[in-house]
Amino acid sequence: MGIRDCALQSSAFTALKYIYDHREAVAEKWRADGKKIVGQLGCDVPDELILAAGMLPVRVYADQGRPLKEADKYLEFSFDPVVRSQFEKLVDGSYGNLVDYLAISNSTDTIVRIFLYLREIRRQEPEKNVPPIDFIDWLFTRNRMHQERNELIIRMFRETLEKWSGHPITDDDIRSAGAICNENRAALRRIQALRRCAEPRITGSEALVIIGASLFMEKEKHTELCLQVAESAKNWPVAKGPRIYYTGSNQENTDLYDIIEEAGGVVVGEDQDWGDRHYDRDYKMEIDPVRAVVDRYMLRQYSAKKSFVSQRVEALDAEADAVRADGVVFFTHAYEEAASWDYPSQKQSLELRGIATAAYAKQIFPIAKNDGLAESVKEFIQQLKGGE
Amino acid sequence: MANDKKTQSAAVKSLKATGAAAAYQKEWFAGLRKRVDAGEAFGYLNADVPMEVLRAMDIPFVVNQWWAAICAAKRMTGKYYGLLRQKGYRDDLCSYCATALAESFDPDDKTEGPWGGLPNPTIAITRLTCDCQGKIFELFAKNHGANFYAMENTQARKVPLKWWELDEDRWEELYDSDRLDAAVEELKELIRYLEQITGRMFDTNKLIEVMHLINEQELWYKKTRDLIAETSPVPVTVVDTINAVMQAQWQRGTRWAADHAKSLYEEVKALVDQGYHAVPNEKIRLMWIGRGIWHDFAFYQNFEHKYGAAFVWSMYLAMGADAYIRIGVEKDPLRALAARYIGMEDFLHMPPWNAQWWLKEARTNKIDGVVYMIPGNCMQAVEGSYFAIKTLEDAGIPVLIFEADPVDARKWNRDTMTDMVEEFIENRIIGK
Repeated sequence: MGIRDCALQSSAFTALKYIYDHREAVAEKWRADGKKIVGQLGCDVPDELILAAGMLPVRVYADQGRPLKEADKYLEFSFDPVVRSQFEKLVDGSYGNLVDYLAISNSTDTIVRIFLYLREIRRQEPEKNVPPIDFIDWLFTRNRMHQERNELIIRMFRETLEKWSGHPITDDDIRSAGAICNENRAALRRIQALRRCAEPRITGSEALVIIGASLFMEKEKHTELCLQVAESAKNWPVAKGPRIYYTGSNQENTDLYDIIEEAGGVVVGEDQDWGDRHYDRDYKMEIDPVRAVVDRYMLRQYSAKKSFVSQRVEALDAEADAVRADGVVFFTHAYEEAASWDYPSQKQSLELRGIATAAYAKQIFPIAKNDGLAESVKEFIQQLKGGE
Repeated sequence: MANDKKTQSAAVKSLKATGAAAAYQKEWFAGLRKRVDAGEAFGYLNADVPMEVLRAMDIPFVVNQWWAAICAAKRMTGKYYGLLRQKGYRDDLCSYCATALAESFDPDDKTEGPWGGLPNPTIAITRLTCDCQGKIFELFAKNHGANFYAMENTQARKVPLKWWELDEDRWEELYDSDRLDAAVEELKELIRYLEQITGRMFDTNKLIEVMHLINEQELWYKKTRDLIAETSPVPVTVVDTINAVMQAQWQRGTRWAADHAKSLYEEVKALVDQGYHAVPNEKIRLMWIGRGIWHDFAFYQNFEHKYGAAFVWSMYLAMGADAYIRIGVEKDPLRALAARYIGMEDFLHMPPWNAQWWLKEARTNKIDGVVYMIPGNCMQAVEGSYFAIKTLEDAGIPVLIFEADPVDARKWNRDTMTDMVEEFIENRIIGK
């Protein structure tokens, strides 16, 4: 399964796949046109504000197989492999040549370290081609005081963007960008509905391509293509097989989902940032524009890193129910450990509800380097099928 | 002939203050147990929580990392990590912070645990200084039937390099104002929460008293640190100072702790006056960066006889000297406390603050080489080692960096580590 011919025959899907496979394409065109680009490291950098500033947000991602000369020089061994690769591109000039600025959110403690290290590199080794940086220091625990603090932090980020863009950002600019993002999320939810329904028409790998493309292109264009795919996919064949919910490390490409789906499962949902979590919760048009940004990023689906075990158990149970999961796959990269503390409680709760689980910890990147992973996944899917 | 370096001997501690601290802790812990048995509230705190609040409210508490060190010293961690594994958790993560969680799975803890086991806390408080802390503490609280409380953490935007010149009385220059504002609000929320669950009132005047006692204690540490720095051969090594200071630091804000710090200084001063040398053939002064190797303190003394190499510096004494004192607390005690607790992680773990401080300390302590331990399973202790090494080595001070765990003895091989340090001494210090 994975990405099927029916998807590849869709011009809208192939257009999205082109962007997914050529992630610099749109940014390079923007740059050639003299327009500004903001790289986003971490999943909590608000698109709405960057768009309101008239700039293009693009997500920093890891390259497979790239030598990690800079990462090996600056980073301790306990940085996870995906972050190592992202860091490499941030220090070796790849992003310095692509983006004008870098916005980093404290989405994981590893990324916080990356911010501190990049700041030091810029201070001590200014000859390195590392873009100017702003850091968004969210407070993720949910209470009034933290909400107010987050509003201050987002106002500061707005001011930074005004400096970067060279012009003021009005409330109307932010609201307009919020509306654009909401339309994009609505389009992605139409894709989601075609995954979560009783007879899924879109596979997990196909969904990752559709969702992931939105991280590297204009939102309006993405929305348009996404709606075309949603329309076309109504007639795609049903993806048959045990329904799998995925939780764990971000999957920046389709390799793991391909393994699951080639083994006969169908990934119908996930809580990772390159999947369903990316478009969870809308920007509230009716409230103060900065508060609406805070509301959207602070109160959406719990992240694996910034929430407590009980919250994660409840959230995963709800998601597994919502997608009618037959099985849940837990997957974490080596040194990306926080979710490991959630796992035993989540596993216990799911199994009490009759949902089978498979767990893969300490995984390396790229996925293909994990000996035995494909075989183990296949075995799990076979178990879900009743051992046929 | 037996190879001296590989003898698994116990550490030789010579100071009375070290023994006194250990004895007091035992006695204090027995008293704590009685208070808990009598129904008093009892807090279990991560090391970076502003414990001064609980001290001022007379809520007894145990500090997570101190308790982990006790468990390690009692050689209990192997059993505890086995229990983690049995319960489906990984046993190779977050050892320093998760030891008490692991212990909480032990059905025999109340009879076989260190010092009679850990009493059930009423409340478990942590700060969210890494992604795992909140999760570990929530699980720990659940196992003990305790309330769970988390305090947030913020990052510094403003980073003046010489923080130690500003933190005592110019903290408004040191920190971003909004960070201080947020930390004060966090303190107020914590105080209100504790008042509600314990029925005790937080008295600001009592906090001022606690802060004054802490200043008194830390000033003695400053004098001790400076005395050791300027004395060669050194009168005491880290084997004594780490134990004497770490245990008393968790009692900070009490009369006992301030008096103990004074006694430590007086004892060290007397040794200096008597011409006592902890390592009579001292030729090399070493700096230890990282947490203490709680399960093998004798390791630090392995290089004294053969090389005249003495570990003279660790963060435990020096942090007390440079990071804890706050002058003028009466004006706004909560803000002064905020200015203490928000910097603790930054001073130790954030480049450039950590590297700049280590360089300053290395110079004043006439350090010949730095042995730098980083734990393999703790993102909190990932602190820009590249920048630290570069800063120190650019100043002519060689650095040996290696991975080890402060409490998990399973990952420790004394022979390998000894060989590594010996090679460092021979090739990077003697042979440079």
